[in-house]
Amino acid sequence: MSMQDDDRTLDALDRALFALSLEEPPADLRSSILLATAYRPVSPFPFWEIAAAGAAGAVAVWLVVLLVMGGGSLFTHTLEAIATTASGAITNVATALWVAVGAATALCVSLFTGFQPVLDVAHRSGARNLR
Amino acid sequence: MKAMPEDGELVALTLRGNPEAFATLVERYDRAVYHLAYRMLHHVEDARDVTQEAFFKAFRSLRTFKPGAKFSTWIFAIAYHACCDRLNRRKRDSGGEMPDYADTAPGPEAQAIALDEGARLRRAIDALPEKYRAVITLFHLQGKQYDEIASVLDLPMGTVKTHLFRAKEQLRRLLDDMEVTET
Repeated sequence: MSMQDDDRTLDALDRALFALSLEEPPADLRSSILLATAYRPVSPFPFWEIAAAGAAGAVAVWLVVLLVMGGGSLFTHTLEAIATTASGAITNVATALWVAVGAATALCVSLFTGFQPVLDVAHRSGARNLR
Repeated sequence: MKAMPEDGELVALTLRGNPEAFATLVERYDRAVYHLAYRMLHHVEDARDVTQEAFFKAFRSLRTFKPGAKFSTWIFAIAYHACCDRLNRRKRDSGGEMPDYADTAPGPEAQAIALDEGARLRRAIDALPEKYRAVITLFHLQGKQYDEIASVLDLPMGTVKTHLFRAKEQLRRLLDDMEVTET
């Protein structure tokens, strides 16, 4: 085969490649992508609100149980015990020190990495894109 | 008539909280990404998963997308690397032997389909080694933009051109062989 024939065949191959139709994706592919990304159903309440409401509800139930089981004395006694423990913990030097160390570590880590939770899923290609 | 927004513009709109903008990007590229994944993996479910995964990753890391870069190159690169991960997993799971999902032996149905030039070309592409299959599929999707293909594959442009040349040579031989077999 001559070089000219070769070129002609490669040109024909290029044309055939460009004319090749794309694979037909499954019918529900687009909708499933959109439901997982742009149209992902979002909760009407932020996470912290739900967590706070859940915690408040649990405390309320617990207090009601205390009232039903032991009457007012058990209720007040429990509240006193909680208050004493909490104030003791806050005023404890060791506890305050550990809290300070934790906060400082969190601050350092966030300064080094930047607080961008989405970055941990950035792909290699995404990283290349930054270059 | 309103002009179609550029990909970069759609990315910016998505980042500003416009879900329709990302939907447009999905509409533009889902078929091409699926095509790339299917040609690489030869498996409908795997190709579907990779396509979903690619768009999901792109959506979550959209902030890292550099303005001015091509979204198509970026999404193809994400999909291509996801395909490579899947192919590596397959290799690991099969103890080094690659289970080939593509049936390259011409069965009666395949022979009937082979009459169609497009189907014959598809079968020839599927019979190419992985690296050539990737480069030829991207050449089909991105045209002669060698730098874009090189970005997706993370290869030097010279290597891409060499791979492409060899891929075409092999493709031509495969097509010739198919023609001889059919006649």
